[in-house]
Amino acid sequence: MNVAMPDLTVDRVTVRFGGLVAVDDVSLHAPAGTITGLIGPNGAGKTTTFNACTGLVSASSGSVRLGEESLNHRGPATRASRGLGRTFQRMELFDSMTVKENVALGPESLFSSRHPWGQLFSPRRETRNIEERARAAMELCEIAELSRRIAGDLSTGQRRLVELARAVASPFRFLLLDEPSSGLDVHETERFGEILVAFVAETGMGILLVEHDMSLVSSVCSTIYVLDFGRLIFYGSTAETLASDVVQAAYLGSEGTGGDHAHVAGSAHA
Amino acid sequence: MLELRNITAGYDTGTVLHDVTLVVPDNAVVALLGPNGAGKTTLLRVASGLLRSRSGQMILDGVDVTGQQPFQLARRGVCHVPEGRGVFAALSVADNLRLQASARVDRAAVDEAASVFPRLGERRSQRAGTLSGGEQQMLALSHAYVGDPSYVLLDEVSMGLAPKIIDEIFDYLRQLAGQGISQLLVEQYVSRALELADYVYILNRGRITFAGEPQEISSETVLRSYLGALAS
Amino acid sequence: MWGVPSVNDLGPVIVTGISDGAVYAICALGLVLTYKTSGVFNFAHGAVAAASAYVFYQFRDRDHMPWGLAAVLALLVVGVIGGLLLERMSYALAEAPTVMRVVATVGLLVGLDSLLTAIYGASTIAFKNFLPQSPTRVGGVNIAASDFITLALAIVATVGLYLFFKRSRLGVAMQAVVDDPDLLSMQGISPVVVRRLAWTIGSCFASVSGMLLAPEIGINVSYLILLIIVAYGAAAIGLFSNLPLTFAGGIIIGVGINVLGQELSGSHSIAILSLAPNLPFLVLFAVMLFVPSRLLIEQGVRRVRRLRPMPTFKPQTVGVSMACFALLAIIVPLVAPAYDINDYTAGLAFAVLFMSLALLTWTSGQISLCQMAFAAVGASTFGHALAAGFPWLLALLVAGLIAMPMGALVAIPAIRLSGIYLAIATFGFGILVERLFFTSFLMFGNQYAIRTPRPHLLGLNLTGDKGYYYVTLSLTALCCVLVLLVRRSRLGRLLRGLADSPTALAAHGANTTITRVFVFCISAFLAGIGGALLAGVTQSGSEATYDFSVSLAMIAVLAFCWRLPILSPFIAAFLYQVLQVYPFFRDATVLKYDGVAFGILAIGVAVWPGLGSIRSSGRAQERDQRGSPVLARSAPVHREKVLT
Repeated sequence: MNVAMPDLTVDRVTVRFGGLVAVDDVSLHAPAGTITGLIGPNGAGKTTTFNACTGLVSASSGSVRLGEESLNHRGPATRASRGLGRTFQRMELFDSMTVKENVALGPESLFSSRHPWGQLFSPRRETRNIEERARAAMELCEIAELSRRIAGDLSTGQRRLVELARAVASPFRFLLLDEPSSGLDVHETERFGEILVAFVAETGMGILLVEHDMSLVSSVCSTIYVLDFGRLIFYGSTAETLASDVVQAAYLGSEGTGGDHAHVAGSAHA
Repeated sequence: MLELRNITAGYDTGTVLHDVTLVVPDNAVVALLGPNGAGKTTLLRVASGLLRSRSGQMILDGVDVTGQQPFQLARRGVCHVPEGRGVFAALSVADNLRLQASARVDRAAVDEAASVFPRLGERRSQRAGTLSGGEQQMLALSHAYVGDPSYVLLDEVSMGLAPKIIDEIFDYLRQLAGQGISQLLVEQYVSRALELADYVYILNRGRITFAGEPQEISSETVLRSYLGALAS
Repeated sequence: MWGVPSVNDLGPVIVTGISDGAVYAICALGLVLTYKTSGVFNFAHGAVAAASAYVFYQFRDRDHMPWGLAAVLALLVVGVIGGLLLERMSYALAEAPTVMRVVATVGLLVGLDSLLTAIYGASTIAFKNFLPQSPTRVGGVNIAASDFITLALAIVATVGLYLFFKRSRLGVAMQAVVDDPDLLSMQGISPVVVRRLAWTIGSCFASVSGMLLAPEIGINVSYLILLIIVAYGAAAIGLFSNLPLTFAGGIIIGVGINVLGQELSGSHSIAILSLAPNLPFLVLFAVMLFVPSRLLIEQGVRRVRRLRPMPTFKPQTVGVSMACFALLAIIVPLVAPAYDINDYTAGLAFAVLFMSLALLTWTSGQISLCQMAFAAVGASTFGHALAAGFPWLLALLVAGLIAMPMGALVAIPAIRLSGIYLAIATFGFGILVERLFFTSFLMFGNQYAIRTPRPHLLGLNLTGDKGYYYVTLSLTALCCVLVLLVRRSRLGRLLRGLADSPTALAAHGANTTITRVFVFCISAFLAGIGGALLAGVTQSGSEATYDFSVSLAMIAVLAFCWRLPILSPFIAAFLYQVLQVYPFFRDATVLKYDGVAFGILAIGVAVWPGLGSIRSSGRAQERDQRGSPVLARSAPVHREKVLT
């Protein structure tokens, strides 16, 4: 139904905080129309990689591209208006507003940046478009019955869905989801995964998913990238990743020396 | 002996720990394992007084200390090295160490810490926030040494650190154990934790699902509880 | 004309400057200390100093105690007991959103101001020196002994504080307590004890500075509050955290004021003459505009509770109540006594002013303590436009439009800074505008007032009280419509989003800088209109009506009238302006203490949610944990017991 959606390409990105190298020369490619997983133990640099993509932190080297367009040196709002959407690990909802208002404000924010006076008035055509998008997104995320509730009053699981719906409603061309299943129980996580798969199938959009929960990752992702100590230690299909010794070692820390990691990462790329 | 008896605790968003009982004997290292969100951090927060339990008791060396404030428990010898970096970023290394030590010996604290982590001695006047992640963690861990505690609660102290530094940290923990300081260790590197531990508890969804000695448990079983689908 | 001054000319001025600066430094040190350790910026710090001066005066001059005893008692009552009470207040504010922290201390300022005025009267009380004055000659300059003592006191205070922070464990703990009180507690040090000590020292410093200033400028609460605000400039030089720099800032400002005053004294321009005394505000504003925002770290906002959302009402309920309300407003002049009508009209004008404030504060989550500066610009522009022959309604429109660029100017700190620094910047801006421009020919002029005659519209003579009431009522209604239109528009939704989560707004592509500029402009426009309407009540806009203290009282009053966009402003305006027409509230005693009531209510609203949260640190902390799992996170598929 849509024009071709772009891929997201992260090319040799490094992020430093003071002396700490949080993300070290990470490259990944998340194609349109699929869900790509980004996993790794706590503190491996997953969220920082995300923030470098969306412009919340600035990478000290490397580049981020959406389709053919480079997003380097742009602020978060500009990257968003170019079509790169995201959700937050600690949900950033408009807590005093209703679910419907939350979801509608996603696309509305994006439209407001399209012309100089866009923040003041909304053309009727856009208003209808926003309403339609919000309605469809809430339906997709199965939160239509919550539309009049105040977002701040909802449970964690419901709030995750509201945040997803808000991102889905916006005319983004690629989505980054940061730990969307944290705080969800098993059933909610399953449902969340089904929604993601349906959404990608329908729109052809690509998603990059940072996730702890291996059950979600393994059920929705086609490719998985594994980070450890800020470096990419493995990538491959879901089955390959789950079977990989390197990944199990990363989680158990039993093998752990830097040299080994570097070696295995090299072979994974080769 | 540090005993948590039938602890139920949580936050305004829900109950996290259900009727948890756990004992840290004298001169012992206890590993507390379990997947993310199982309630490990919450349990440590209860044990150090940061979170008041809804029900249950905490007994420290035979004294009922339920509901005491963190600073009271700290004075009784409980030392909590929290998740993340347990340092005051705006203060110098030396000042951080002074606060960790008790008032009588606070000036000697820097030298004491430097004897364990020489790098801290070299950087004594540097602001803690400008240290590397590993150095910050060493600074936080110094508390377990200069604070002269009887019980040390360690929450994911290896998180996000390079393998070499993790080795160094585990050597240090082994050294502490050698001195007879009891430890309650929350750790994502299961095999390392099992190597060190005398007893193991597994916490899953707020309930203890295993209690016993490390020999009774294989790392594959633990891995399964961590990664779920990964092992299947 | 100014000539080159010789050292002999400047010598005494510099000495006086250093001595003045020492007092500012003591005061500023107290302010920075309490802010650093509790995250609560005490806008009432000057009021604490003033209170101490009055207590000192009470004991020494009224109760005839020896000055030493009186000073110690004042220090004890205001410094120690006051400090301990303030610590309790700041504790209850620990998780309050920034706007409520501002409301609480501004409420305290309003309350203390009113209390002291009610007890001791508004006029200045002469206060003879208590320190010896005998001059000593140093390097060809006569220096009074009191100047020496003051300077010595300031140096001792600074060095003492510096050493305390550097050397003592408690001092180190004091710096650590804001960073992470839980971590401090885990190291065996009670955060409450540390905070108590910090507030006691801070209030004692304020108290001492108040007593030292009293003989110089006499005892007058408004003067003392204002003079102590000079300390904000010093604190700004220390970036609200560095103590030695703060001390230096105090001295620089003290010397700067005195030297500039001497140098510029030949000038005939009032604006240039008033440059010297306003130096601290210029410094404050410059720091807010030019210092990189990463250096201005907001203290104690890591774990903040959100304001509870307001209930929403059905459109029918809103419609019906608005109609009733409108009807009531229409019949007021027909039933109220003729001499009360002007108070009702002023109430309507204030409703517009409160609406402008509510739009900023409640709708978009921004803070402004300079709303009356916008109003003053509106009122004076209105007067000038009328004098220039503009039609009345056009003049009113111009009043609003001219205020808009002012709003845009204030939006600059709002873009760069957030929370408490925005409050401080707007506070300084309000006073700066008042003191630099109010009496200039651009605004009220040297007569302190400007004529603002009432209109003839549509062939009707509306210059009578009733006529003007209806003019104001219709325009107020138009302003309501404007506010409702804004709220219903896309901008309104973006503003509400801005209040809840600027991050999310930006992540969805909205340019939040533009949003902030818009809301400040609209708010300034409304305030300009409100100010002009208010001037029409007395038919002459006078400078005193638009005093910065009114801006402060407004935020205190608005705070306890809920957070609704239209209704709250009307309730606030009624309480603030109209209530006094009713017999009970017309009583002189009640009138005298109205500020006390407003202050207490404002503090109450701000601390109320925090009172229940004793020992809630666990809950608060949990929200702070990088959004990591609060509830048991989804456990992996294998749910059976591993082993038993």
